Amino acid sequence: MPASFKTEAVVLRSIRFGEADRVLHLYSADRGRIGAVAKGVRRIRSRMGGRLEPLARVRLVLHQGRGDLCTVTSVDTVHAHAALREHRASLEHAAAACEAVLRLFDSAEPNRAAYNLLCHQLALLDSEPGGAGRAQSLAFRSKLALAAGFAPELASCAACGEADHLTGFSPVAGGVVCASCEAGSFALDAETHKFMVKALAHPLSEAPQAPDRALAQADRALGETLEHHAHVRLRRVG
Amino acid sequence: MFAPPVNRLITELARFPGIGQRTAQRLAFHLLRASDEEALALADAIREVKETVGHCEICFNLATDPTCRICQDERRDGDVLCVVEEPSDVIPIERTNEFRGRYHVLGGALSPIDGVDPEDLHIVELLGRVSSNGVREVVVATNATTTGEATALYLADAMRERAPAVTVTRLASGLPVGSDLEYADEITLGKAFRGRREL
Repeated sequence: MPASFKTEAVVLRSIRFGEADRVLHLYSADRGRIGAVAKGVRRIRSRMGGRLEPLARVRLVLHQGRGDLCTVTSVDTVHAHAALREHRASLEHAAAACEAVLRLFDSAEPNRAAYNLLCHQLALLDSEPGGAGRAQSLAFRSKLALAAGFAPELASCAACGEADHLTGFSPVAGGVVCASCEAGSFALDAETHKFMVKALAHPLSEAPQAPDRALAQADRALGETLEHHAHVRLRRVG
Repeated sequence: MFAPPVNRLITELARFPGIGQRTAQRLAFHLLRASDEEALALADAIREVKETVGHCEICFNLATDPTCRICQDERRDGDVLCVVEEPSDVIPIERTNEFRGRYHVLGGALSPIDGVDPEDLHIVELLGRVSSNGVREVVVATNATTTGEATALYLADAMRERAPAVTVTRLASGLPVGSDLEYADEITLGKAFRGRREL
């Protein structure tokens, strides 16, 4: 790896470090997860501090030293997502999106689909900060699970392949199950099933709506699938 | 390399933020060269601060008594509360001489990703103070970071629900005095524009 390199990334998390530094968890387009130190950015006169806040999409020059963490040497903003920071709901949904990427993608292996999805979600929340909702966040999480290779099986019974009478969801089997394979599953309404299929099929900007009960079931189904198969526990989408 | 007590001192000093091994070594040798009174005064000061300083039971600022000096000061305006994240944030605000109200220290900022939820901060106590003590205005002075903003928005919503008559304000954001415009980041400059004032 060269000593210095350029990349584009979203700042997922920022942790105070030392006197005035921050450790950043970045998700980059071409290098996956990157850990970096941004020196002096907590000082009020820092030229970089405001650009390296979580949720920002930035273009960086990083220096790879001998340690695990790179050092940020320069940063330009691609999209600051300033509007979404003004509304509590959009800020919470954006933070949940970053948390999901942080937990699901922890290697240096790039995943362009996941990166584009995150950028798209943040841009959507920024363009319509008042429209942030649970259904849209769940649609994002479904697509992210697909990009990570953990999307639940929705077309047929995950245990026996039966295409009809899909009445339950089994996180262990990794998808919907039919009436005869219901052991260890929880009931899944037809409306929830429909929502989960549509959430994957439609673009994020056209995420389907569903009643609260269906959204709660979809949230549980996705959460428990990821917990069982990816060993990642995500907070429920509020 | 050194005698065990010196090594121990270096190890302890190196735990301080911003102090590396080399600096810890220099400080340790400074203490060894210093007079007994000077070195032991430092040890006494550390012991005293750990034994006597706690948190004010009203505002959670640092205090040597059950309540801090600001809460005890009757000349302070009890109608206005300034909410900060940490006790260290009180000092720069006091230095401005612009604020004569009282404080409330939250003990951090909301950060679900780090497992910091509302119940981990002194938010319930703040809402209790606001609804029972005739507070007129709450100035939210949390840091201008993503977690600080999230905390401010959460407090504003909670206050609207619990004490709708109370005005909730946020510190203005803008350019630091003495800085050049060309180095400003987009969020700061955008906020400075939105918050511009007539001359």
